[in-house]
Amino acid sequence: MARFLAFLFVLLAGPAFAQTVVQTDNVRSELVSEVATVKPGEPFWVGLRQTLRPKWHTYWKNPGESGLPTEIAWKLPEGAKADPIVWPAPIRFDIGGVINYGFKDESVLLVRITPPAGLTGPFTLAAEANWLVCEDVCIPEEGKFELVLPSGAATTPAPPATLALFEQARRAVPIASPWPARYGLSKAGDPTLLVEAKGLKPDAISDVYFFPAEWGPVATMAKQSATVTAEGIRIPLKKGDAKAAMPAELAGTLVLTEKTADGSVKQAFDLSAKLDPAFVPAAAASLANAVGAEQLSLLQALAFALLGGLILNLMPCVFPVLAMKAAAFARLAGHERSEMRRDGLAYTAGVLVAFAAMAGVVIAIRSTVGDVSWGFQFQSPVFSLLIAYLFFVVGLNLSGVFEVGSRLAGVGQGLASRGGTTGAFFTGVLAVIVATPCTAPFMAAALGFALSQPAPATVAVLLAMGLGLALPYLALSMTPALQRLMPRPGPWMDRLRQFLAFPMYASAVWMIWVLTQQTGADGVLYALGGMILIAFAIWLLRLGNGASAGTWVRRGLAAGAVLLAFAATLKLDDSPATAASASGGPNAGVSFDGWERFSRARMAEAVAAGKPVFVDFTAAWCITCLVNERVALETPATRKAFEQAGVVKLKGDWTNRDSEITGVLKELGRAGVPLYLFWAPGADRPKILPQVLTESLILSELSSIQQAKR
Amino acid sequence: MSKLNVPRRSLMIGGAALALAPAAAFATSSPDIGKPAPQFSAVDSNGKTWSLADLKGKVVVLETTNHDCPYVGKHYTSNNMQDQQREAAAKGVVWLTVASSAKGEQGHVTAQQANELTRSRNAAPAAVLLDPESKVARAYGATVTPHMYIIDANGILVYKGGIDSIPSSNVADIPKATQYVRVALGQVQAGQQVADSSTRAYGCTLKYPKTST
Repeated sequence: MARFLAFLFVLLAGPAFAQTVVQTDNVRSELVSEVATVKPGEPFWVGLRQTLRPKWHTYWKNPGESGLPTEIAWKLPEGAKADPIVWPAPIRFDIGGVINYGFKDESVLLVRITPPAGLTGPFTLAAEANWLVCEDVCIPEEGKFELVLPSGAATTPAPPATLALFEQARRAVPIASPWPARYGLSKAGDPTLLVEAKGLKPDAISDVYFFPAEWGPVATMAKQSATVTAEGIRIPLKKGDAKAAMPAELAGTLVLTEKTADGSVKQAFDLSAKLDPAFVPAAAASLANAVGAEQLSLLQALAFALLGGLILNLMPCVFPVLAMKAAAFARLAGHERSEMRRDGLAYTAGVLVAFAAMAGVVIAIRSTVGDVSWGFQFQSPVFSLLIAYLFFVVGLNLSGVFEVGSRLAGVGQGLASRGGTTGAFFTGVLAVIVATPCTAPFMAAALGFALSQPAPATVAVLLAMGLGLALPYLALSMTPALQRLMPRPGPWMDRLRQFLAFPMYASAVWMIWVLTQQTGADGVLYALGGMILIAFAIWLLRLGNGASAGTWVRRGLAAGAVLLAFAATLKLDDSPATAASASGGPNAGVSFDGWERFSRARMAEAVAAGKPVFVDFTAAWCITCLVNERVALETPATRKAFEQAGVVKLKGDWTNRDSEITGVLKELGRAGVPLYLFWAPGADRPKILPQVLTESLILSELSSIQQAKR
Repeated sequence: MSKLNVPRRSLMIGGAALALAPAAAFATSSPDIGKPAPQFSAVDSNGKTWSLADLKGKVVVLETTNHDCPYVGKHYTSNNMQDQQREAAAKGVVWLTVASSAKGEQGHVTAQQANELTRSRNAAPAAVLLDPESKVARAYGATVTPHMYIIDANGILVYKGGIDSIPSSNVADIPKATQYVRVALGQVQAGQQVADSSTRAYGCTLKYPKTST
């Protein structure tokens, strides 16, 4: 009965007093003890167990760039002592780019308590804890706790469930690092941490991150790209914002994931690295301030865009379209001047409208998602397939299988001339579509600028580029003097036109090849099958004429065939290829023979090791890239020179989406490939090489480092 | 047929998905003390445009804010912020409160709301800059609200960090704390080097625009 009364008393009095469990809006907190009975003078452990609302987090002892660590203020009887909190290993949170260190779901903060030696009667632990709990918004919360433990001649353990909780909590606490660690400062003052973890299997270690124990010496905001070798772990860091000199010992927690036979295990080690004055790491491989990275004004960007567009006409991607344009021109040769002019203007309008549309898409994507790249549409296999169809149909048209604007559309001959103008307009649109996988010199900088500027500048730069692309033909159509240089019309025109179908077929073949890089061999089946269906549809439509009942049946069938061809796009799934390239799987479109796969970590490692490094960012659909590789990077002379200079050759394949490469391009102010970087040995920043490479250019770069060596 | 995932593969979405690549929200380091402060130009709650370039010859204080952040609240309910704004104004210092929360995020304000907050809190900044795209915050690498910066009359960044030295949400800590900004302003006015020129800022994470879904 007395016990019942006591229970009732506790029940009634409980809410008025501090308690062991505090429920706040976002956290359930409980003060738990590992012992049921306390022995005077003998230390024991308590834990503040916090269960957080899903998606919310609390903070580690170093909260990172914002946030506050959880604090516990103890009120203990005279002679009792509470040690500092023993923190579990933290995890990293990226909140809109701001890096925080802390805990989600559940955490137990362990504290060792020493009761007074002369303790008699129950031991009362009172604590006031406060913590900041954040999701997107942050809420400071607090709780008052009280735990009363009886004392006795010997400690007795808490119930098994509580003991299990403590055991689990201890596993979450980092262990002391079994490896010695030291750190050095680069000339710029950035620390690099070396953990002499010899004998690690580099392949088995991933997600290495160093959590500095304090705010100040290390910038928590900077990305870390650790390299793991058999010699140990090397983590280049960035110096933090503290004004004080770097500490003699840099303390923190090293977290890594190790692949073992039983699966991946996350491990955490507390370490303290001594400052080693003899260790002066080469400056961290920073992409900032790359030599040759252009900073443009709007005017410069416009000029570069115009020039780039002009040069784009000479790039391999645009050849097929130029072929078409040449055919159109031959057809018009000798016609009235006004007609020529109309044709030129229509083509220019087509180019400009296409560029304006692209600007619209860019702005739309940017305003919804925030980031966009040049040539990105080629990373979609559906786009590749549609372009292949387009090339095929245009080729059929050039071959004379059908005529646009007359029989196919069932429009009268009277509109044929207007059909020519419309044709010129769409040739312009087509030119832009196929031009995108090529980046011409000057364009890269202008595009990088355009994609990062406010909407009006984006539109202006892209339109300037379009104007540049259309300019040669526009000039030709406007200048009678130039026209007089054109040969006289005649039967050769038809032959030329038919001949020009072949570059179009070749382009279609190329697009199908790109498609196979993205989707695998099945892509060929769908693409060629679709082409047969399209050819079949065209044949059906050309059968007979007039509005007989049969015509409608044929039209229906043709529509069905075309729909089926387009349905092939639904079968294309870009995920397998994307997954393959993400996991480092082979992608036959981009040859890695003699090259290593690019990663920031690998680049940083090679640069730190003082080796010359060449980085090639490429894509299977980027013709400029492939041409550069053929004529400048893979010639016997360059290969030999690369080998002699001991160059680490890294290749980044952007055929499919790759956020790491996109990030690098963005940092360098670029929006697309090709991009070539060259790090001279010991350089703290790369040199950006031109978009169009020559063998002699590469050789002279390499010989300059050879000379520097002597 | 589970692979029939049509919308994802349409051209635009395809591009958008690519663009989801985690954008580096800003340079990974904040501007250096002793170097020219990053330029900015922003419109205030009364429609006036403020450019750092136009403020040459004046000492400028930047204060990032988010009125719903408890740490901002700590310094406004205690009048600590308002007092320092008035002291600064009396010395001819241009104090700019910068509302950098992105649209749709906590602390985002319209011009009207900003003026209403200034009135109701009896605040006295020279202006409240509206920075809904967090451009000013980004240029300065601000991570929290309040994050404080002082730019001297030559346009050099001389202080960055917290408003004071005790990172807590407890108003009672204010009198015990070193008021870094007040101390630094005094040193700037006296033509001295700022002793504590880079301190740890504390507060709520600055509400940058979301760059991914």
